[in-house]
Order: sequence, then structure tokens, then C-alpha cells
Amino acid sequence: MSVYPALTRRTRLAAAGLVMNSLLLVSPALKKFRRVFSHRNRAVLALLSGGSALIAILIYYGLYRFLEYVGRAPMLGDTFGPILGGLLVSKLLEMLFMTLFFMVLFSSVIAALSSFFLNEELPTLMSSPLPIGMIFRSRMLLMTIESSWMVVVFFMPALYSFATALNASWPAYLLFPFFMLLSVLLPNLVGGFTALALAAFFPIRQMKKVFQFLSIIVLTALIFFLRSLEAEKLLNPSYFKDISQYILSLEVPLINYSPSSWLHQASIALFRNNTGEALIKIAPLVGITIVGLLLLNLFARRYYRESWQMSMEAVDNQVLGLEWLRRVLVWPFRWTDPVFRVIANKEITTFVRDPAIFSQIFMMTAIVFVYGYNLSILPLKDIPSLYSGELNDTLVFLNGPFIGFILASIGMRFVFPSISMEGRAFWAVKSSPVSPRKILITKLILYLLPMTVLGIILCMVTNSVFKVSHPVLMYMSYINVLIITVVITSLAIGVGAVYADFSADSPLKIAGSYGGFIYMLLSGFFIINLLAIEVYPMYRLFFNRFYATRGSSGLVLITVSSLLLLGCTAVWTYVPFRKGLDTIENYEPE
Amino acid sequence: MNQNESMISFRDIRKQYGNFTALKSINLDIYKGELFGFLGPNGAGKTTLIRILTGIIQPSGGKIMVGPHDLFAQPDKAKAMLGYVPDRPYLYEKLTPLEYFEFMGGLYNVASERILSKGEEMLRMFDLWERRNELIESFSHGMKQKVAMSAAILHDPDIFVVDEPTVGLDPRSVKLAKDFFKRLIASGKTVFLTTHTLSVAQDLCNRIAIIRQGDIVALGDMKELQRRASMPGNSLEDVFLKITEEELAQQPSNL
Repeated sequence: MSVYPALTRRTRLAAAGLVMNSLLLVSPALKKFRRVFSHRNRAVLALLSGGSALIAILIYYGLYRFLEYVGRAPMLGDTFGPILGGLLVSKLLEMLFMTLFFMVLFSSVIAALSSFFLNEELPTLMSSPLPIGMIFRSRMLLMTIESSWMVVVFFMPALYSFATALNASWPAYLLFPFFMLLSVLLPNLVGGFTALALAAFFPIRQMKKVFQFLSIIVLTALIFFLRSLEAEKLLNPSYFKDISQYILSLEVPLINYSPSSWLHQASIALFRNNTGEALIKIAPLVGITIVGLLLLNLFARRYYRESWQMSMEAVDNQVLGLEWLRRVLVWPFRWTDPVFRVIANKEITTFVRDPAIFSQIFMMTAIVFVYGYNLSILPLKDIPSLYSGELNDTLVFLNGPFIGFILASIGMRFVFPSISMEGRAFWAVKSSPVSPRKILITKLILYLLPMTVLGIILCMVTNSVFKVSHPVLMYMSYINVLIITVVITSLAIGVGAVYADFSADSPLKIAGSYGGFIYMLLSGFFIINLLAIEVYPMYRLFFNRFYATRGSSGLVLITVSSLLLLGCTAVWTYVPFRKGLDTIENYEPE
Repeated sequence: MNQNESMISFRDIRKQYGNFTALKSINLDIYKGELFGFLGPNGAGKTTLIRILTGIIQPSGGKIMVGPHDLFAQPDKAKAMLGYVPDRPYLYEKLTPLEYFEFMGGLYNVASERILSKGEEMLRMFDLWERRNELIESFSHGMKQKVAMSAAILHDPDIFVVDEPTVGLDPRSVKLAKDFFKRLIASGKTVFLTTHTLSVAQDLCNRIAIIRQGDIVALGDMKELQRRASMPGNSLEDVFLKITEEELAQQPSNL
């Protein structure tokens, strides 16, 4: 009860019929969030804030320049270009809204299941005389913040770049956060309803089936979404029989009667300074949101306590399915060092038996699928043959960082939480003769294996798609991916240890934490660092192809770049690992 | 008990959390074959000392010898001599008891055959054998405590460190645990335990230390403690309350 210092007093007030504030119930979570920042070094915080701002500016400016170019659409001629370009920008905004909607919807369902039914504060709250509606509203607020904050942080600069590209005036910038609020609230409402409805049919503690069910829905939705975009056609009018069909395809909404579509139309009106029209278009959504919130509140008051009680009753106490998969995965470790073997066994067993992990695997598969799909629709065959080799080689060069981002996303979901997932049982490891260093190295090696395999497979597939013409580039691409994999995995283990939350109940929650954000940020910095170092050797490679020059200056600079690459890799691998190790050595479990 | 062979030796162990002193300067020897009880009110520093002994937290100063090994210079060797059962048995919930034993046994480099045979013996003793294939997450506090206790014995440690061993156990399990500790002592092992259940301490312990506000205020066998409290023939409960209240009264801030 100590986390609710004011609860008893407030409860008496509630019993006296006074209006209670659900925000009070959120205060322990907010205090916990504040504590994350309070004991961090101010210089590091300032650096990270500056880095975040820089990335936001880069996203904003980079996308703005792209949209400005697409808006003019010079490839379509002077007459049609600006007209069709405007439609293209609008279409891209619609795609962005739809992506945002699905992302928030998916993460809100998972956050709702965790927040509504599995949160450790719930038994205390449910046993108190607080009205169930108030408890639900506090959980809903937490779930909304948890599921949406990261999406908002990354999407806001991108959405504002559309505003600038469409010459929006300042009131549009001020009004747009309210539109953004709606775009987050609506999927969260759907997520909240879905979680409550699911609880009526599935015991929450046997969530494996529920998550599998959800994952299939999301995967299907993503595939449907991707097919519906047909981005490759929108960028090339030659795919259409005539210009009218092309214009029609740009103007027709991706999905009719979808909230994301309405939000898009209202936002376009807002960015084009038709504030009145924007408000008229957004009004139905405001109405739906308010009605939805009221209905969800009523629904929760009627069913929430009952479904929570049901979730408490059904504990799946048998070893879950997929035992065969567990056995297959642990089998190769039979011949390894005993400590490595038992840690690998424990990690794999926990992984296979964590119901939430399946949805994560599906989501990651979807990301890899999206990547593969995007590559498959690149119009490489349309490029003049003289330049196709160079363009393909450039794409291979840029492909490394893209693979890096995919690996970083996968690392965030699976590797980053691995230290936190030791949970409160970490005392067992700390009191054992095995040193923290050995534990961390074991985890690093263990996670490096699948990450490397995935990185190499992605690299092989993309190299074959790009038909890499230069052997040096081919080898470099593999070395590049290996370097990226080592650094990204070490970052995930190190930062995961520095920001370990041993009380977190799910890997998703850990991945979505402040530490997860820092990890992604640092991964981004590393990839930028890598690109900056590799640009010169890449340039020399192209240059030498056209002008077979000889000279020592290029060789010296390539050697310097290679040495820098080695040095940076060592630093990026060692420093986070060392920091993580120091944190774990000094960590004092409960 | 062999008073010539110290199994645990605390020398000037201190622990400071900011301005708060959790342990002042603990000096204590625990001998081979001894069942040593460590008592004290809530927040006195019992669990802190045990956590330092098991290497979970670092002291602010001092030295601990576990058998011939310096805990801070040779942590791997010192820790290998200890078997630890915490007061709150947080275990890996997604494992079954046997898988948990395999994990813990692996950390202590125990042969698989021993893990299986000892694990089975312990689970049968605690009536958990039938539930060996269930996930620990479905177990009650007491059942988890029994699993933690069983895991701590797998590597055949010379010293058994137990924090509040009887919390959450039913009366039959308390009896089993007490018999288990007695058997350990009979086989030459050393047991260091903390408890609030004074009857357990009185029944089992050869010697008892009472800690209050980070300082040992009484140490000895039952007779010595009774003498210290000027309460010959009284129960440990009376002695404990007398000593801790006396100490409280002597605190300058309470005068």
C-alpha cells in the first residue's frame, strides 16, 4: 500500500461521495517514470535529448525535401507535375496515417491486456473500495501512454514535414496536435474494446492463444495494408492505362470509412489552410471518440471487474505447448560449457513459453516481409543499363544501414529485454559463483548467433536482388553486416543492462521503455557513424571504376577509413557492454 | 560444532546507504557444524548482512572469509561453498522445478545425475514430486520456498544460508524444514539462518546473535543470552524482547 500514500485518505473521500480523480491512480507509474530520469547523469540526459532533437530535425527536414520534390513531380512534366505531385503527397500522408493507426492499434491491444489484467498494482486497486470505472480509466490512461508515446515521438516530425511541404500556416501547426491526439485515441479505444471483449472469451493468463489470434489478425492486416498500397504503381504512371486512371488511383482513399482516411482528409484540409473544412471533417471523429470513450467506460463498468477476476482464476500450470520446438532449439547446446548450456536452455525455454513472444515474432516477420516486399518492387529493370551497376552498388551500400535498422528493431524486441527478463529471480545468478561478466558475455554470444544468421540471410537475399557486380562490394556488404550485428547486439545487451527493469512483466513493456528508446537512438547514431566512415571508400570504389587512377592519397585515406571503422566498432561494442557490466555488478536486487 | 574451524568470518562489515547506516561494524565468526541464528527486529540489518554474505550486494567496507576464501577476492570459490535461500523466493516462473534445478545446478557446475537424484529426493521430501512438470508460476509462496530450498542443496554446499526459512510454510513443512536443517548439521554442514519465528531459533540454534539498528547487541547460546538479559529460564521470546527494548531505551534519541 505504500505506493498509494494518499489512497486511504482519498478512499474515505470517495466513500463520502466526492468525485475522485483517476489521475491519482496513475501517479505511482508517473513517479516511477520520473525516477528513471532523476538518477541519470544530467550531461548524458542533455546529450540524449540533443540527439533526439537532431534525429527529429533530420526526419522533418529530410522528409520535407523529399515531399517538396514529389510535390513538384518534375518527371510528370511541367503541366501535370504539380497537380499530380500534390495528389501524391496527399496519398503518402494517407499511407502514413494508416501505418500509424495500425501500429497504435496493435500495440494498444497488447498494452491493454497487460495494463487491464496483468498489472501488479491491480490486486491492491481491485480490493479497495474505489469505483471500478475509476480504476479502469486510470488503466486506460496508462495503456494509451504506453502504447502511443513512442509512435507519437517518431511520427510528429514526419507529419509536420507534410504541413511544411503543403505550405500550412501557423494555426495549422498549433491545431494539428489535437488531430494527432485523435489519431492516437481512436486506435486505443478500439484496442481497449478488443482487450475487454477478448477477456470475455479467453482466460488472460493463457494468453498464448489470444496472442496468436491477435498476431494472425495483425499479420493479415499488414499484408492487406501492403497490398492495398501498391506503392510501386503510384510512383510510376506507366503502370496505368491512362492518366485519368492514375489520377483516380491517387484520389480514391485506401480504405473507405476508415478513421485513418478521415483523419487524412481533415489533415490535408488543415495543411492547405482550409481550417473550416478541416474542422468540419474532423467533427465526426471527435463525436465518435467521445461516444466511444463513454461506451467503453460503460462497458468497463459492467464487465471489467468480472473479466479481471476471470483472468485471476485461470492459471495455466502445465508446461505449454511447443515443447518439441524448445527441445529442438536447446539440443545444439548440449555439448557447450555447462554455464553457457544452462543459460541458453533457460533463455530458450523462457522465450518459447512466453505467450507474448509469438506476437513479437509475427510482428518481426512482418517487418522483414515489408523489407523484402519493398525490395521486390524496386524498378531496377527500368534503369538505363549504363548506370544500373552503379545504382545497384549504391543500393548495396545503403542496404547495410537498412539491415542495421531491421536488426536494431529485432534487437529491441528480443535482445534488449533479456537482462530485465531475469526479473526478480536475478538474485539466483548474482549469488552463484558465475561472475556477471560471464553472464553478460554468454548472453551476448547467445543472441549474436540468431542475429548474425538473420543479418547474413538478409544480406544474401538483397545482394542477389541487386545483382552486385563488384566482388569487393559483395565481401564488404557481408563484413558490414557482421560489424553491424556485433555492435547492435552488444548495444542491446549493454543498454539493456544499464536500463534494466527487473520488475517489468513483459518484454514488450521493456522494449517500449525509456531504455528501449535510448537503445534505438544509439543504434541510429552508430549507423550514421558507420555510413560517415564508409562513404569515402565507397566513393573511391566508384571513382576508380570510371577513372582508373592510381595514387597513394586514396589508399592512405581508405586505410585511415578502415582503421577508423575498426576503432569505432571496438568502441561501440566495448563501451555499452562495459557500462552494462558495471551496472549489473553494482545492482542490488530486492 | 568445531570452534577451531571458522566457516564464516565477518570482519568490520559496514553498509551505508547515503546517510543511513544499515550495518555499523559487524564482527562475527560462525563455526563448522554450527546452526547459527541471526535475529533482530524489522529493518535491523539481517537481510542486508545475508545479502552481503551471498555476494548479492557489496558492503561499504570490511572483509568476509568463507572457509579459506576471501569473498571479495575469490568470489567464485567462496560462493561455491554457499547454498542460499532468500526470504522472498523469486524464481524463474516459466521453468518447471526440475528445469530450475538444472539451471541452478549448471551455475554451480553440478553433474546432471546428481541434479536429477538430489532434485527428486528433495521434491519427494517436500511433497512436490507430483508437480515436477508444472511451471513454477503456478506455485504458492510456500511451494516456491521449498523449490528454492531444494535448489540450494544441489551442489552440496558446506554452508547453508537461509533467510526466513519458515515464512509461508505450513506446519508440516516447517517440521520438515527443521528436520532437514538438523540433518545438515548432523552431516557436518553449517547453517546460518535469520528468522522472526523465535521458537524455531530456540529449538534449532546452537548460538544466536541479536542485531539491532545495524549492530550486534547480544551473542551466545541460549544460556548466555538469558544471562545477558538477566532472565534465566525464560523463553527466547522474552529474552529477545528484553534485549531489543533495552537497547532501544539506551539510544540517545529515545531518551
